[in-house]
Amino acid sequence: MNVETTQPVITVNNLVTYYGDQKILDDVSLTVNAGEIMVIMGGSGSGKSTLLRYLLGLHSIDGGEICLFGKDISRLSTREWMEMRKKIGVSFQGGALFNSMNVGENVRMPLREHTQLDENTMKIMSRMKLEVVNLAGYEHLMPAQLSGGMVKRAALARAIVMDPSILFFDEPSAGLDPVVAADLDNLILRIREAMKVSIVVVTHELDSAFKIADRITVLDRGRILMVGTVDEVRHSDNPRIRNLLTRTSEDEPVDADEYLQRLTEGAMRN
Amino acid sequence: MTFPVEDKQGFSVVILNGEVDLNNSPDARKVILTCLKKMKHVMVDLSNVEYIDSSGVASLVEGFQYARTNNLEFGLIGVSEAAMSVLRLARLDQVFKIYASLEDRLENGS
Amino acid sequence: MAAEFDTGRFRQLSELLGRKFVTGVEDFGYGAMLFVESVMWLLAGHWMQQRVRLAAVAQEMVTIGVQAIPVVTILAFANGAMMAMQGIYTLRDFGAESQVVTGIAMSVTREFGVLIAGIVVAGRSGSAIAARIGTMQMAQEIDALRVMGISPVRYLVSPILAAMLVMMPLLAILSDSMAILGGGAISGIELHISLETYLSRVFAVLAPWDIFQGLTKSVVFAVLITLVATSNGFNASGGAEGLGRATTRSVVLCIAAIVVADMIFTFFLSR
Repeated sequence: MNVETTQPVITVNNLVTYYGDQKILDDVSLTVNAGEIMVIMGGSGSGKSTLLRYLLGLHSIDGGEICLFGKDISRLSTREWMEMRKKIGVSFQGGALFNSMNVGENVRMPLREHTQLDENTMKIMSRMKLEVVNLAGYEHLMPAQLSGGMVKRAALARAIVMDPSILFFDEPSAGLDPVVAADLDNLILRIREAMKVSIVVVTHELDSAFKIADRITVLDRGRILMVGTVDEVRHSDNPRIRNLLTRTSEDEPVDADEYLQRLTEGAMRN
Repeated sequence: MTFPVEDKQGFSVVILNGEVDLNNSPDARKVILTCLKKMKHVMVDLSNVEYIDSSGVASLVEGFQYARTNNLEFGLIGVSEAAMSVLRLARLDQVFKIYASLEDRLENGS
Repeated sequence: MAAEFDTGRFRQLSELLGRKFVTGVEDFGYGAMLFVESVMWLLAGHWMQQRVRLAAVAQEMVTIGVQAIPVVTILAFANGAMMAMQGIYTLRDFGAESQVVTGIAMSVTREFGVLIAGIVVAGRSGSAIAARIGTMQMAQEIDALRVMGISPVRYLVSPILAAMLVMMPLLAILSDSMAILGGGAISGIELHISLETYLSRVFAVLAPWDIFQGLTKSVVFAVLITLVATSNGFNASGGAEGLGRATTRSVVLCIAAIVVADMIFTFFLSR
């Protein structure tokens, strides 16, 4: 939908989540404005993929709140969630195409399940989206017959087939060679331009993040290090962000007691 | 809800308005195809369209193809910038016959 | 040292047992939840604008039921034949070998016909369903369904449940008939009873209640296999190895579940 309001499409307030006893996300707050590309960046284990899963409502949260289109998602009824999900497109890391269906059927799937459109209209719509992602003519192939880049583009076609208001990408360039990854970045920018859609991208790829982002959220160990524009992040003097940018890791100061305790815990039975 | 049709200068002008989305694009499709099945040339007026989604555009595509196979004329008039960007995404701006208005079409020919 | 009671070990053991028990209860609860939800979609899906598709149900009916026909036929026939052989040898000592017909008719319709059908379906579909859903789980296809606003239970479990509920009783009837025929073949050879006489005696001893008992069980088996197989699929994790584990676990639990359920049912129904 053509959201022209200034109201943020996503608001996260003081989100806390646990995995067992371990705190995965700690006091995470952020907003994503309409039409904006927000990149959530961080190293592995930073909690960025977890954050995405919570934004998609795949798990229930342990504290704080997540609002999509101004509505607290933990208070939605099953039916309201289903309605809301029609306005959300997701491109999963591995594509998550349904292996038992060909590319065309995969792209048409949301239409088939959610609309009463004519079969012809659905065909034309799915082919239009395949044109957008440069997969025209691949309709009849099965996912197993596609290359990695093609799988991602087919998944993207499926994600945009319902003309969503928010589009989520999980590691769009993971596992792709640089040229294909750059193509995908351009595609993301083109789609934002034409569809006026808000986009959230979770990635650890710096080049890609700097190229497409309006703003970047840097996550580290489940906490937000900073939220800022590309320039602000690039020129930040926070040492942890610098580590991330230069892809080095400085040794942290060692607390001798704690360190020994970690190494010997449970190993000192006499 | 249905969309009005005006017969002018040998064309059936289908006037789409407001938001053309999943809910009412089947109506738009029906109106367009009905005109074409009566063997009339069709111009779709998009000047009052605030938003058109891909199901709406798909209906236009289907109409255009139907017109071509039946030697009828099919054009779009008054395409707004918002509608244009949706067309452009799938490069359909290079496919449709697009005019500023019906007068534009009449003066400059097809 | 040896006499000293090792509290540490004991605690570990009891902890392990406790955890297993909790997991068991959790699994059971998960299965019950799946059942309620999939039945809900079957009944109310239309109203929620999420219909369970007939095409999907038909597809499952073919893979679960139709493709199981050859195996069920062979196994049931062979089983009926074996029961006849054993029956004749045992009863010969009492000079009552002709009573074998009664034995076969009763035990097949009440018990073994449906059990054979159940074990075949558990073996074939219990693994296949767990493997399919497990693969989808690992490839994030289940997540994809959920974020598309498509209930995975409605999309994946409900068609299987519906197909099972239709096909299991049919397979049970097929299995019954084949086992009785198998028994008839042996009776013909050993006791020189013609098939006609054999069948008329079978129908003379059979009461509708016997067949009904078998069919009731088949419905229970259908539910059990569906829930065990799908929940093992949904809870699969840990790559290819995990998938193998989930599949094996699914088959073993499916068979265990139907055998135990069968026993419980027989205990109550045969009184």
